[in-house]
Amino acid sequence: MITLKSVYKTFGNIEAVKNVSFNIGKGEIFGILGPNGAGKSTIVNILNTLVRPDRGDVIIDGINIRNDGNTIKLIMGVVPQEIALYEELSAYENLMFWGGLYNIPKPELRAKAIETLGIVDLVNRKDDRIKTFSGGMKRRINIACSLLHNPRILVLDEPTVGVDPQNRNHIFEVIERLNSEGMTIIYTTHYMEEAERFCDRIAIIDTGQIVAQGTLKELRHISGIEDPDSRGTNLESIYLKLTGKELRD
Amino acid sequence: MFKLFKKDLTLFLHDRRSVILSFFLPVILITLFAFAYGSIGSYNGRSEPVELLVADLDLTGSSKEIVNKIDSLEDIVVVVSDSVRSRELVIKGEYVSALIIYKGFQDSLKYGNSIPVELIYDRSREMEIGILQQNLISTIMSSTGKIIVNSSIERYMQDQFPDIDKNTRDAILKTAIRKDNNSLAVKWTSIVGERNDTKLGLIQAVAGTAILMLLFSVAGVGTSILEEKENGTIKRLLYSPLKGSTILYSKMLFAFFISVLQLTAMFLFAWLVLNMDMNVSMSGLILMIISTSFAVSSLGIFLAAIAKTRHQAQNLSTIIILVMSAIGGSMIPMFIMPAILQKIALVSVNYWGIQGFYDLFWRVLPLEEILPKILILMGIGVVMTILSIRLFRKRIMKL
Repeated sequence: MITLKSVYKTFGNIEAVKNVSFNIGKGEIFGILGPNGAGKSTIVNILNTLVRPDRGDVIIDGINIRNDGNTIKLIMGVVPQEIALYEELSAYENLMFWGGLYNIPKPELRAKAIETLGIVDLVNRKDDRIKTFSGGMKRRINIACSLLHNPRILVLDEPTVGVDPQNRNHIFEVIERLNSEGMTIIYTTHYMEEAERFCDRIAIIDTGQIVAQGTLKELRHISGIEDPDSRGTNLESIYLKLTGKELRD
Repeated sequence: MFKLFKKDLTLFLHDRRSVILSFFLPVILITLFAFAYGSIGSYNGRSEPVELLVADLDLTGSSKEIVNKIDSLEDIVVVVSDSVRSRELVIKGEYVSALIIYKGFQDSLKYGNSIPVELIYDRSREMEIGILQQNLISTIMSSTGKIIVNSSIERYMQDQFPDIDKNTRDAILKTAIRKDNNSLAVKWTSIVGERNDTKLGLIQAVAGTAILMLLFSVAGVGTSILEEKENGTIKRLLYSPLKGSTILYSKMLFAFFISVLQLTAMFLFAWLVLNMDMNVSMSGLILMIISTSFAVSSLGIFLAAIAKTRHQAQNLSTIIILVMSAIGGSMIPMFIMPAILQKIALVSVNYWGIQGFYDLFWRVLPLEEILPKILILMGIGVVMTILSIRLFRKRIMKL
């Protein structure tokens, strides 16, 4: 479904992405883990055609992003890290606006907006302005706004930052539900337990390079931490071993 | 683009502060400025007359004649007092000025000595002093001048021709100083603004305030782009099939729309509530509103484009708008500014807008005469738009 081949991207003197390659199969949940400034967001922006790679190929659903960026945008939904919503508009108005950008016919969009509000369990708050919502509710609407055009691929960029356990669990259930319906999911996070919970495969990225990728089992093998009960959370141990304990500011 | 425009309009209407800032505040300010400039709420459309204290210590025919003449002037009301009390009242700020006619006034006129008249005043009240100066100089000069000339000729004839009898001397004097001998008098006729009923102050209040407020509300639209960048909505818009340029053009269109709406509302208010005469070139008015809105909205977007953050944009906009409005004539009418400032004003959008509206409402010029100012405003708009597009591509749309 998604293939990155030897992708490079430089901003000025900073090499944000260096020789990154991976494949993501259809219906897979692929996790991208990495410390701050590792290059996760640049990879997300390359996948969304917002950033053009200096070198390498990105093929999504058989389309090279250099040739047809607009089609990629139609088959991909992105949930940004920020709560990118209009606070003065209601939840429903936000959904109608964001969905409207994909030229969905109005009656279809209205039905889809209500359906999506149902998915994130906010139908009863549809007419309330976003500014009256809690952080968790905003996060849920943030996800809903990316689902209206029925994307085949959903990119979630740290979707649970600052969310309480109940809302977090709800977001996980939504992701699992969407994946069970066949949606391919790319998930970037700092939280190891999230990646451990539902990522089929994980890429650990540091200083613009993939330091390891594979299933949890494969990562254990690569890192040499075979015993899952040896030290705290398993993936966290692997992650720290592969990326080091040095602070990244 | 229409979807983005509709979203911005909905957000604008949801934000009561923006609506108040764009429409109600300008209406209040226009009304206040119109009162301040003396165009409404005063008698016969003129400023209130200035009260002048007069202490006549001479109490002769000549001094009384002068006092009566001053009192008959439309812009001055004479309040009789003594010299000590007059000084006290001016110092206390209760009166702007006092005219003291000292003893010996008539004799000085007769013998050609310096006239013992003093005007004491409060320097802080320059506007009222200006009115007084203009009226007092012409009245005192015309009254005293005749007496001085009369007595000079009389003295000369007595010295040079002592043998001439009194009747012949009077006849010569009568011929020399005829009452209707005013062939050198300059006739003052106002030829601008006579064709309509709109007061100059009202035009200044409406045009000046409208453009000033327009700049503030449009700068708000401009900074909303930076706000959208900071909260991530621009990025999300770029994730959609929209082009980056569409996002910018929709903001520009919205800023232009708000400007046209605001200017139109201001002139409608001035027409319906403040009795501004709208019997002017309608095509000129429409083009002036469009060109001013275009220039102002592009300037507002440009101000946001040169800033890096929303906070910086807000501060920068406030400073530039206030300076430009001060030198461009939005706050103070151009004609009372020093010559150097009047030249500097040419760089401000306020100047061209206000002067265009002056041409339209005060000079009642046809469209062809206003066209150069309209073209300059359009030119400012085009330059600002090109610069804004370049800066936005470089700074805002870059993730």
